[in-house]
Amino acid sequence: MAGTNRISTREKMRRKYRYVDRSFILFLLTLFQVVSFTPVIFADGEIHFKVAFMLLGYILFEWIYVTFMHNVVKKINFELELIAFFLSGIGLCLTASVNEDSMLKQMITVLGGVIVYDILLWYLKDVKRVMAIRPFLMAFTLIFFAGAFLYIYKFVGAINGAYNWIRLGGITVQPSEFVKIAFVFVGAATLDKLLTSKNIYLYIGFAMGCIGILFLMKDFGTALIFFFTFIVIAFMRSGDVRSIIFICVAAVIGAVLILYFRPHVMARFENYRHVWDDPYGRGYQQTRVLMYAVSGGLQGLGVGNGKLRHVYASTTDLVFGMICEEMGILIAVAIVVAFAFIAIYAVKSSKSAPSTFYSISACSAAAMILFQTCLNIFGITDLLPLTGVTLPFISQGGSSMVCCWALFAFIKAADIRAYPKMYKT
Amino acid sequence: MRNTTKRTYIILFLIGAFFVGLGIMLYTFIANGDTWVANRGNSHLYEGGELTVAGTIYDRDGEVLVSTENGERAYNEDSSVRKSTLHVVGDNAGYIATGVQTLYRSNLVGYNFIDGIYKTLTSDEGCDIRLTIDADVSKAAYEAMNGKKGTVVVYNYKTGETVCMVSAPTYDPKYKPSAEELESEKYNGVYLNRAISGVFTPGSTFKIITTIAAIENLPDLYSKKFKCTGKYETGVGEVICNGVHGTVDIEKGLNVSCNCVFAQLANEVGKNALTQTVRDLGFAKNVTISKATAVRSTFDVSDSTALDLGWAGIGQYTTLINPCQMLMLMGAIANDGIAMTPYVVEESSEIVDAKNKTNTAVRLSAETADKVKKLMRSNVANYYGDKKFPGLEMCGKTGTAEVEGAKSHAWFTGFSQRSDLPYAIVVCLENGGWGYNDAIPVANKTMQAVASSIK
Repeated sequence: MAGTNRISTREKMRRKYRYVDRSFILFLLTLFQVVSFTPVIFADGEIHFKVAFMLLGYILFEWIYVTFMHNVVKKINFELELIAFFLSGIGLCLTASVNEDSMLKQMITVLGGVIVYDILLWYLKDVKRVMAIRPFLMAFTLIFFAGAFLYIYKFVGAINGAYNWIRLGGITVQPSEFVKIAFVFVGAATLDKLLTSKNIYLYIGFAMGCIGILFLMKDFGTALIFFFTFIVIAFMRSGDVRSIIFICVAAVIGAVLILYFRPHVMARFENYRHVWDDPYGRGYQQTRVLMYAVSGGLQGLGVGNGKLRHVYASTTDLVFGMICEEMGILIAVAIVVAFAFIAIYAVKSSKSAPSTFYSISACSAAAMILFQTCLNIFGITDLLPLTGVTLPFISQGGSSMVCCWALFAFIKAADIRAYPKMYKT
Repeated sequence: MRNTTKRTYIILFLIGAFFVGLGIMLYTFIANGDTWVANRGNSHLYEGGELTVAGTIYDRDGEVLVSTENGERAYNEDSSVRKSTLHVVGDNAGYIATGVQTLYRSNLVGYNFIDGIYKTLTSDEGCDIRLTIDADVSKAAYEAMNGKKGTVVVYNYKTGETVCMVSAPTYDPKYKPSAEELESEKYNGVYLNRAISGVFTPGSTFKIITTIAAIENLPDLYSKKFKCTGKYETGVGEVICNGVHGTVDIEKGLNVSCNCVFAQLANEVGKNALTQTVRDLGFAKNVTISKATAVRSTFDVSDSTALDLGWAGIGQYTTLINPCQMLMLMGAIANDGIAMTPYVVEESSEIVDAKNKTNTAVRLSAETADKVKKLMRSNVANYYGDKKFPGLEMCGKTGTAEVEGAKSHAWFTGFSQRSDLPYAIVVCLENGGWGYNDAIPVANKTMQAVASSIK
């Protein structure tokens, strides 16, 4: 009981200070968003009312959400939410600047992400509930994913060389993004149970099933993210460095075989570190990212004044280059630091998490986001092979946005402050 | 639970790796940014591969050779200036590989890591380049060439400042001929700066090199008498002379450019010593003129017969000489054996360590330089006539290089010995006729322009 009291006192202190912090940071965020949207609203010498209204809507949404969650739901801290709003806002700004009409769609996905985030956060509150749903989720995910692949393979076909997108009406959905959520959920939940060999094999089977389907989809970037997350989960669970090395060696051999048998991927690797050999062909995207990223300097050329925007995938895969060019390298570095902060937050929270499930799920979700960020940023700048993955929260795309918010729920759930009512009583 | 908590260090490790990656990325940005930005794919600066936004290039007097106006490159108002400076300045599309607009484009686009190219796009600040080239001299040289192919290069042999580097055929960058036209014979090799990227049979100008070899290797050179009967018999064939000169000494031999004298000297010196002299004079090493590496001259007599060596001694055989390397030799002779490396781009806050470099590959003693200088002065004073170069006090040597199946190259290489006019010149008119008749007038007009316009 003494422990509980101690927490309460500390929480009181925190709430006292957080209150100022929260509004102040939200104010700074609003200021940043108004400033960064200004050139979009006044682009080409006319006032784009539509963008202005959407921005107003987005800012209002941020304030209302945070205020509501604080005053009504009694949430204490909002670091993750504010970071997500910051990153999403940058994505919205660049999306609106390139194509005004895409902004609304992107904003709706933010709303969807927030809803998924809060539902998942509510669900994760009860570990028993989590454990109960695990086998069903595992089975459902595999069936859904395999079914989605078969559907795409038969009826949709490859888009940009991968069987990865389903078109539903006006929107495209990436099934693998939703599988990411289940992957972390199932991985962390399995491990909290008794470490029976059946459990372990079941999870390994599940992981390999997901990764296998990704290979069939030819989405190697996402497969890599899954594999990496799998290693983190396995390590968090066992702490066995030798098994991890074993897994890695097996993976490298597997990767070599894949490279050998799949010329498409091989071509990609041949291009790696040689993008300047063919700046008008295979190296087109990356060389454009590099030349335009440095063109902007530390402060950028201003939103709307860039040239990378005219290159294919500028607001999705290449968005980091666009940030460098138009918003400047300083903002780009700030974004990178924000991603690192997410991971630090996850580590910090998981140390005092009430259950290993929270620890592992928070760390693996953070690792997933960070690794994806690495693959994206360092891929388009030719420090790593280009794998065509998106930049979390910022890249335009609904499935990715919803998935990122969902992953944040895992990180948030590990924070003892996430469920204040639990500690109050 | 405790173990799991400890294992979170894997995430910290990942964060560390992430920051290392960020550091490497920023480092590559800083290290390579200037090259990346100046790539022709950068549509801030290029349109359809043509440079549109960049700083101004000035001549030595501040005359604008090219600048950006209303989003495109605008060249000098005078058509002859445009044509005569084209190869040094370079074209928009970078076809002229040795042009300043190509080699110095990262300076011209004014990139730096802090500002990117923001300033260039908004105010074109800090990205101008001043050349050592003089527009008026270039124009005079170009007009004196009178439509002939070839090159005229002039530089200050005390400093290395190159005031004139004209190459023809050229074209007017303001009214660039169609691609089809540029394919025609008239524009053969139009994108080559012949001063830097050309090599030519040197003809009699090579006799200066043979003379240097003889001075260094034959102690009795000055007391020697040569007999010219119109041909020099080697035993395996004969070298034909341009006349019948009778008995001559080295001075007279060089004055009249007697082939017999130099074919004989080459054989007396021997192929090894002659090759060594060519090396000592820097012809075997690359010379870089403001980032542009000149094509190396070739001299190879390793498999030559006595007849071949005789021809080599008078600048025929397989020898090919680069005009800028020849210019440096002239500079070394004029400047007590010290050869300054030519340069065309002036130093600035952005371009450092560009000037006043001696070329140590050229090894010529002050005594030999003085002896050759006197002989070359004698050429002009006693043979060509100072009236060919009024007031210039020139030292020089002509050359008429025979080319198989075409008209000969006309050369003049030399320098003024006036202390207030420390300039060396190389004129090479490709298939342009005779050294005395064709190259000397071009050299005179150019040097007169140097004397009158360079203060």
